[in-house]
Amino acid sequence: MVERPPRLEGKVAIVTGAGSSGEGVGNGKAASILFSREGAKVLLVDFQEDRARETLQIIQEEGGVASTLQGDMTKLDDCERMAQTAIERYGRVDILDNNVGISQRGTVVEISEDDWDRVMTVNMKTIMLASKATIPHMIASGGGGAIVNISSIAGLRAHSSTPYSASKAGVIGLTFSMAADHATDNIRVNAIAPGLVYTPMVAPRMNDDLRQFRSEAAPLKSEGTGWDVGYAALFLVSDEARWITGICLPVDAGLTAVHPGTYTPMNQQTRF
Amino acid sequence: MRLENKVAIISGGSRGMGAVEAELFVQQGAKVLVGDVRDDEGRALVEKIGADAVYAHLDVTSEDDWAAAVKKATDRYGKLDILVNNAGVSARGTIEETSVEDWDRVMGINAKGVFLGTRAAIPEMRKAGGGSIVNISSQLGLVGMAESSPQYQSSKGAVRIFTKSAAIQYAPEGIRVNSVHPGPIVTPMTEARRSDLAMQQVMVSRIPLGRYGESEDVAYGVLYLASDESSFVTGGELVIDGGWTAQ
Repeated sequence: MVERPPRLEGKVAIVTGAGSSGEGVGNGKAASILFSREGAKVLLVDFQEDRARETLQIIQEEGGVASTLQGDMTKLDDCERMAQTAIERYGRVDILDNNVGISQRGTVVEISEDDWDRVMTVNMKTIMLASKATIPHMIASGGGGAIVNISSIAGLRAHSSTPYSASKAGVIGLTFSMAADHATDNIRVNAIAPGLVYTPMVAPRMNDDLRQFRSEAAPLKSEGTGWDVGYAALFLVSDEARWITGICLPVDAGLTAVHPGTYTPMNQQTRF
Repeated sequence: MRLENKVAIISGGSRGMGAVEAELFVQQGAKVLVGDVRDDEGRALVEKIGADAVYAHLDVTSEDDWAAAVKKATDRYGKLDILVNNAGVSARGTIEETSVEDWDRVMGINAKGVFLGTRAAIPEMRKAGGGSIVNISSQLGLVGMAESSPQYQSSKGAVRIFTKSAAIQYAPEGIRVNSVHPGPIVTPMTEARRSDLAMQQVMVSRIPLGRYGESEDVAYGVLYLASDESSFVTGGELVIDGGWTAQ
């Protein structure tokens, strides 16, 4: 049997939103741990650095190489400092996982202008800023790079979270355009659209009934986790996906592949 | 290893993408039945791979061949977890140039073949407690291209939506079904088109990453969908096209 090298051997990755907002493993934490297990050095960036430190502790216990950085991805200065830090600590940058995001419910009638601006800034503008700061370093490192943007099935379907949906649909459009813009630099840009996964971000508004309901809403009738999203990110940022760019990969137990009948009742009850 | 203790059938596995998938699957711990109508190439391939691969003659339009292939895989390796419906043929021409025979032949192999393979594999996957089916469609199952043909594009579109139909029907039994949509890949199937240099240039000019894909580029996507790493992914379409359809 041929022993294969780790899938991210020699790579340096930046994960934004690398901590989880509560107990458990969110998308960014899972991706950070999996990137590390596959040989990458990982810069763990979070607005709340103590959250990133929890991710760091897990990686260090497993013998991986990572470090944390406090950063507000809504600020270009912080994004530039982030990219610089990756270069200073690890010498290069190959991978950027844009994972920062917040929920925002409400109709256009209900939403305040400030809340609208906030969700669009946190969920979409952060990707633009972090990518703007990092892409020149990917080019300078040689060999190009891979960016993965965390969208949502809410960007593909009505989701009782109109501002959130708009921001996540924006992420998909941004992904396609960035992919086309930077293909000649050999920088690949892809999106993941997680379905109804149970993560620390959604946990505060869940109860057992709602968790059960969400688990059964999609054809596979299983509860997704941050790990499912993390494995998809691992695949897309690795050289195994070297000819994949400009796609949006749903990780949703089949939810967007089927008739929305299992899904709309929840919308009507605004149960999300 | 990512496919440890898994048993897979790969149709059209003698050469091109199917052959690369067979080798990759075995490297990742799977046992593989390679099915094809190219018996000499298929036998040579499994001999090269070793004891973890076996060959069966498999005309994907034949119900009997499918039954025999599934039986051979389960007799030898004890169960069936993965099916890659990879067999396919290409065709070129306008609608007016296309005969009924041309249409039926391509639809038979590319579309009916996927249906028959899936139908033959499901009972064994049920016994195994679940499984993963990966159907090779094409970017031309998603978007039109003047230099293709009505039967090729229709057959690949059929594979795309057949995948979603199968995914919803068998999700309750833990059987996942996804489609893969390759762009132009360097394989024996695309040799004729690639040997036309003007045509090759046109194709490359449409690919943002600036080159044809390699069989390996597709095989790794198939590996992801076949493995438990994608256990929350079904009914999906994985586009592997160098950015063609994102534009």
